[in-house]
Amino acid sequence: MADRFAPPAFPRRAAKPDGIPFTGPAAAAQQEQQQQQNASFNALSRYVADGNGGADPADRSIGPIGYQSKVHVIDKYKVIGFISSGTYGRVYKASGRQGQVGEFAIKKFKPDKEGEQVTYTGISQSAVREMALCSELNHINVIKLIEIILEDKCIFMVFEYAEHDLLQIIHHHTQQPRHPIPPTTIKSIMFQLLNGCQYLHTNWVLHRDLKPANIMVTSAGEVKIGDLGLARLFQKPLHSLYGGDKVVVTIWYRAPELLLGSRHYTPAIDMWAVGCIFAELLSLRPIFKGEEAKMDSKKTVPFQRNQMQKIVDIMGMPTKDRWPLLTSMIEYSALSTLQPPLNAPHHGHHGHHYQPQRQNSGGSHLEKWYYSTINQHPTGSSASGATSLHSLGAEGYKLLAGLLEYDPDQRLTAADALKHPFFSTGDKVSSNCFEGLKMEYPHRRVSQDDNDIRTSSLPGTKRSGLPDDSLRPGKRVKEG
Amino acid sequence: MAANFWESTQRRHWQFTKDELAAMRQKLEDEDPNLVQMYPLPHLRHLNIYFNQQINRLGKRLGVRQQPMATAQLYTKRFYTRVEIRRTNPYLLMATAVYLACKMEECPQHIRLVAGEARSLWPNEIQSIDTGKVGECEFFLISEMSSHLIVHQPYRTLTTLQGDFGLTPDEAALAWSIINDHYMTDLPLLYPPHIIALTAMVLALVLRPAPTGSQGGSSNTAAGLAAASAVLAQAQARAAITGGNNDSSGRSGSATPSLTSQSSSESQAAQLPGLHPGVQRAHDSGMASKKAPEDRLNKVTRFAGWLADSNIDIEAMVDCTQELIAFYECHEQYNDKHAREQINRFIKARQL
Repeated sequence: MADRFAPPAFPRRAAKPDGIPFTGPAAAAQQEQQQQQNASFNALSRYVADGNGGADPADRSIGPIGYQSKVHVIDKYKVIGFISSGTYGRVYKASGRQGQVGEFAIKKFKPDKEGEQVTYTGISQSAVREMALCSELNHINVIKLIEIILEDKCIFMVFEYAEHDLLQIIHHHTQQPRHPIPPTTIKSIMFQLLNGCQYLHTNWVLHRDLKPANIMVTSAGEVKIGDLGLARLFQKPLHSLYGGDKVVVTIWYRAPELLLGSRHYTPAIDMWAVGCIFAELLSLRPIFKGEEAKMDSKKTVPFQRNQMQKIVDIMGMPTKDRWPLLTSMIEYSALSTLQPPLNAPHHGHHGHHYQPQRQNSGGSHLEKWYYSTINQHPTGSSASGATSLHSLGAEGYKLLAGLLEYDPDQRLTAADALKHPFFSTGDKVSSNCFEGLKMEYPHRRVSQDDNDIRTSSLPGTKRSGLPDDSLRPGKRVKEG
Repeated sequence: MAANFWESTQRRHWQFTKDELAAMRQKLEDEDPNLVQMYPLPHLRHLNIYFNQQINRLGKRLGVRQQPMATAQLYTKRFYTRVEIRRTNPYLLMATAVYLACKMEECPQHIRLVAGEARSLWPNEIQSIDTGKVGECEFFLISEMSSHLIVHQPYRTLTTLQGDFGLTPDEAALAWSIINDHYMTDLPLLYPPHIIALTAMVLALVLRPAPTGSQGGSSNTAAGLAAASAVLAQAQARAAITGGNNDSSGRSGSATPSLTSQSSSESQAAQLPGLHPGVQRAHDSGMASKKAPEDRLNKVTRFAGWLADSNIDIEAMVDCTQELIAFYECHEQYNDKHAREQINRFIKARQL
């Protein structure tokens, strides 16, 4: 739209004038001066036509120049390797070239393509949200945005780098011999995670996609909530929150009110996900591992029967007693088509063989699930150095049950959960979740296959042939 | 942050003093004096009015609500504190601001629709606008705003407080209109949204529209200003007495000393000639249900009392009041055609 940069004749990265021997500071100064002269000369020459005041058509030599970033990713960051990719684009690990401290994760949103041509088609709403929210957020337990660079039709969001994430940590413990995550680590992770949630929620931000893969952990043991791609503000939205994105939260972590078709949901959906993550830290598997029913061709959202069944299997049927607004849920009628929970889970606790009072208690098997999980691992086998989860005790169960409460109004809030006795009794909570550990978790895998942050999503395109170069208008001031 | 204005990017990066604002604009002009000389622009106040109206026109065509439009207004203002107007096509920028603001305020409009409406609204100004151009301009806009896209508006403060102060629907509507109008001024770049909202409420409580047929004059405007200032001075004086928990009370003496002696009831019926049509309309509709003046006086007194007991920067409100009154006066001299011609001249000549 605008001729934004004074010297339009310069390529993106100012060309160094050739022919000046580079011998020392004096030469450097001279070179710089020369560059400045070039720049001002160019800038000046563009308005000569105006200055002459002659025929207006002379002005035509000034064409609009396309958008160019003031900051260039490759000037500022050195890509160490490729971390991961998703529907949004790719994430790279990088270090600073200009003396920036630490390492960085650069999230690159891929540009839209029309055929071979990369074009500007408008930034996706989720990218806009993430850019906007991350620019405002500032908390120890939320991943920190360093800067955003808009260049070559791509968005580069530069974040602080985190060596681990919860998915990785959980995975590590499933490796043979399967061994539980130390209870102090779990406690610290949960506290930090809730702390980050509380910050988000008091700032009216719903994350809407909390899951182990999105919870980062730095090598200093700090937990950082990441990936705010689905997050949004919920303070007096203009439209119901349902309007924008019909489906949120990865299915295993999706709260029952969402599964039952709730339109106006609340921070409680994040708290359900936190409960699921807590359970997963304990058992090393997703607690409600359902199968997602895909949207049909009419784009109507199907009832997630399988997922709801998995929840019912452990939590029992939701009842009106425990969840007064249950009957007003859109998918309420679908509940009756689910199987009542099996009486006893596969492990532990013999006894009650006929249907217990499901109507009153909700028939929850969560307590059994919890105790059989924390007692599952051999306490005595010191050979592996594995610690027992037994120390998490009854308060651990109460916290879990408070987070996995069916009724969103009764579910623990982040602030409530932080005050829970679970954190004030037993082992002290550390702000470093790795404190006292003798081992180190494996580092994030960084692949070297794709190190070119600029061209990677444009296979087969040489840098010189980047479409934006060809798009740049040929109308330029003639040299001299 | 999103809920906490005091930690927001708006507070930290997009609120300036008048001097800072003037210096930034001067710097942009100094970068290319020839350009500035070649293409004179309308008076800044008029330019602001012109942009505001053009954005609103596009917003109406798209059926966009007030909040995203206000956000688009602010985006445009922010952008032009960083980029010289004459280097851009303001119509493309405004269309892009509307497009981005709609996404940010969760009421997205398709980029093709925005480009299409802009093209038919401004056929001579941006013939070649297309989605690619809007998309490219979006990068430019976001980049100049340093990706600070979350905007705090005064509307929320108004809707929260209008009940507490017993504003009638008409008074609330008037305050709302005044907030709409303040986007035609620099105020959104100068003061926090709650200051704007409270100022709009004071004005809504003290202003009376001119009786039909009467000749507006600066004396009436002065009366409007005096009425509002009197309320604020009253509040300031009370704050000073009650121990000065008001952070501005210490340095408030010089701002409006002559007004403190004036009783606020005297100037209750101040009239404002240059009131914006929207404001006028909002008020006319309320004339039928005119209430006893004591009612009004009580409300004003209560409001002043509340201001005195809170930590509100009353001096800032005084300044906002003056700015708004000056704007309404200036609005009378506004010539839409003149503004359009001056802008379109550089667009055409420079083929932007």
